[in-house]
Amino acid sequence: MKIKVRSWQWGIGLVAAVLGLLIVLQLRTELKIRAKLPTRQVNELAQILKNQQMRLAKYESEIATLRRQVSDYDRDREILRLKMAAGLTPLEGPGIRITLSDSEKKLKEYEDPVFYIVHYDQLELLINELWAAGAEAIAVNNYRLGSTTGFSCAGTTILVDTRRLAPPYIIEAIGDPANLKNALLMPGGFVEQQILSFNLKFIIETVDRLWLPAYKGSILFEHATAASEEGGN
Amino acid sequence: MLIPIIGALIGILIGWRLPFEIPVNLVKYTAIAILAALDAIMGGIRAQLGQKFLFSKFISSFFANTALAALLCYLGDLMGVDIYIGAVVAFSIRLFQNLSLIREELFDRFWWWRSGRSDKDM
Repeated sequence: MKIKVRSWQWGIGLVAAVLGLLIVLQLRTELKIRAKLPTRQVNELAQILKNQQMRLAKYESEIATLRRQVSDYDRDREILRLKMAAGLTPLEGPGIRITLSDSEKKLKEYEDPVFYIVHYDQLELLINELWAAGAEAIAVNNYRLGSTTGFSCAGTTILVDTRRLAPPYIIEAIGDPANLKNALLMPGGFVEQQILSFNLKFIIETVDRLWLPAYKGSILFEHATAASEEGGN
Repeated sequence: MLIPIIGALIGILIGWRLPFEIPVNLVKYTAIAILAALDAIMGGIRAQLGQKFLFSKFISSFFANTALAALLCYLGDLMGVDIYIGAVVAFSIRLFQNLSLIREELFDRFWWWRSGRSDKDM
């Protein structure tokens, strides 16, 4: 009887020990959790955290998309601006149209016809006058002038780059029409001295909306390469 | 009576001194295990009072209930079923039932003991 009671008590003792251990461990952990979190709704907090993280991810991807759009937009605008500067895109705007042609005057025997036709240097100087007066884009006979465009004389015709021009030369320039016109017609200026005095046909008209094609010449750079702003030295 | 108290003290001391804690995500299951253990102990006390106590039955019910309760709750969580709540309700009901039965039994005994003594006195 006594042995039976004792084994019974040992069993209870073991159970009590296990239970005490479990409860104390549980309390320790639980108290620690409560010290860390304001409420025990861990699941709820986890849900909130997850939601916020999802929203954060969404906003971040939105920001990335917007940034990309902004940079694309900037790049597109920059490219367009550079193309406009390089003459690689058609342009339109107000400006003037000049028609320049050989003199229609009946020449007398002793007069040299050389003085009554348009020479390439006259054309070039006229265009230089336009640039100087603030023209933003110029085309001659519907050929747009680029940054490397040059005029040359080939027998009886004028070449602009490699394209043959024939009179009448129609020069269209986009810019402030009044400014351009006044600059050209300045008394004692280039037009009066070099063009009108030879009785060349010269008509100048202002146009509200000119359309100039894109520069169609070569844009290859065989010798030049891009360099830094500081220079080679 | 001394051995259970000493056992409980030893258990508390070990629990206090253990260098590790229950991982946070397992706290729920150990809580259920404790509830099951308490239920087993109350059941044991009631059986003892009813002279039906079996040591092997008590030990097996204590450990099996504890382990099974925690395991079932874990499985329930895996399946997305809140067996946790079911276990809490079931164990709590049994706990209170056993407690009230124990209280009744003890009350009866006390009454019997007092009435017996008063009988003797009279």
